[in-house]
Amino acid sequence: MRWRHPVFVCLILALTIAPAASEEAGVSVRDAWIRETPPGMTMMAGYMELRNNTSRPQVLVAAGSAVFESVMIHRTIVKDGMARMVHASQIELAPNASLIFAPGGYHLMLMNPKRALRAGDPVVINLEFRGGLALPVPFEVRK
Amino acid sequence: MQQTALKFSIMMTAVALAAMLAGVWLADIYRKHDSRAVLLPDQVITLFPDPKPLTAFALTDHKNRVFDLASLKGKWSFLFFGFTHCPDICPTTLAVLARARDNIAKNTVGADGIQFVFISVDPNRDTAGKLGQYVDYFDTTFLGVTGDNAQIGNLAGQLGAAYQVAIKPGMENYPVYHSAAVFLMDPRARYHAVFTPPHDAETISRRFKVVRELEAGNAT
Repeated sequence: MRWRHPVFVCLILALTIAPAASEEAGVSVRDAWIRETPPGMTMMAGYMELRNNTSRPQVLVAAGSAVFESVMIHRTIVKDGMARMVHASQIELAPNASLIFAPGGYHLMLMNPKRALRAGDPVVINLEFRGGLALPVPFEVRK
Repeated sequence: MQQTALKFSIMMTAVALAAMLAGVWLADIYRKHDSRAVLLPDQVITLFPDPKPLTAFALTDHKNRVFDLASLKGKWSFLFFGFTHCPDICPTTLAVLARARDNIAKNTVGADGIQFVFISVDPNRDTAGKLGQYVDYFDTTFLGVTGDNAQIGNLAGQLGAAYQVAIKPGMENYPVYHSAAVFLMDPRARYHAVFTPPHDAETISRRFKVVRELEAGNAT
């Protein structure tokens, strides 16, 4: 009878609905992390593995966070022997495929953190996809 | 049992073949005693069989000390160009170099006589204080170095390290493009080798061990 307790009912409901909601969302994120920077630095980078679980393309169009003044989708490319960052206004995820944001490639450029971030701190970054899907993603600051 | 033995002999043959190939490959590299660059087939390091001696340059380190040609002498120096407002490639590379240094320090020869130098191509924003704070975070032995545009250009030019600061008046966050390579100077202040990105700490420390041993062999 204890299982009928309202708290448990809510918990069970939450546990069953939450994965279902993200499944329906069609995009999942793994291994999301932010590189800790030396003190006082205003530019950080976020990395993650995005997976499109649907059979149609999903397009990442924007990212934002309450912790940073701005978040942009960037890619480091090496051209003419020079590394440069290129702003990507959107990124298409192929159906049933993964796209990895990793050092030296795609990354979220995180500008002007509103508080000092140290290894272990959790940060939420919201990813917005075409069609209105918004995904709040927990990132971990790592050294 | 028989299958295991077969697997083992195939493995041993493969190892022997790889060793032979590596031998042929290294012999070939050291036979070519011209100044052309040799990119080893693993695409990680380019070795110069006839390293180019650097000429005079004058920069300043994060403790406001002169960093010039004499600062390179008697030490192996790993040089990396970048800027502190760089969110991705610079911290990634410096973290890799810090790990590479740890690996080298664990080696029997150790990390004495080796320096890691981060050269900022953005002196406009990277003051000595800021550079010190930045490099210290990755490794307290790292040097942060910068100077005026002419002097940065002097050293970068000698190494063929391309960079461009796309500064525009009134622009707070301007883009900076820079070489992503790690340049290795030998203790005679000669441009000895260059590591090509993407960088990996284990590869850098392993390759450096070989380069240092070869050079020690050459010197005696």
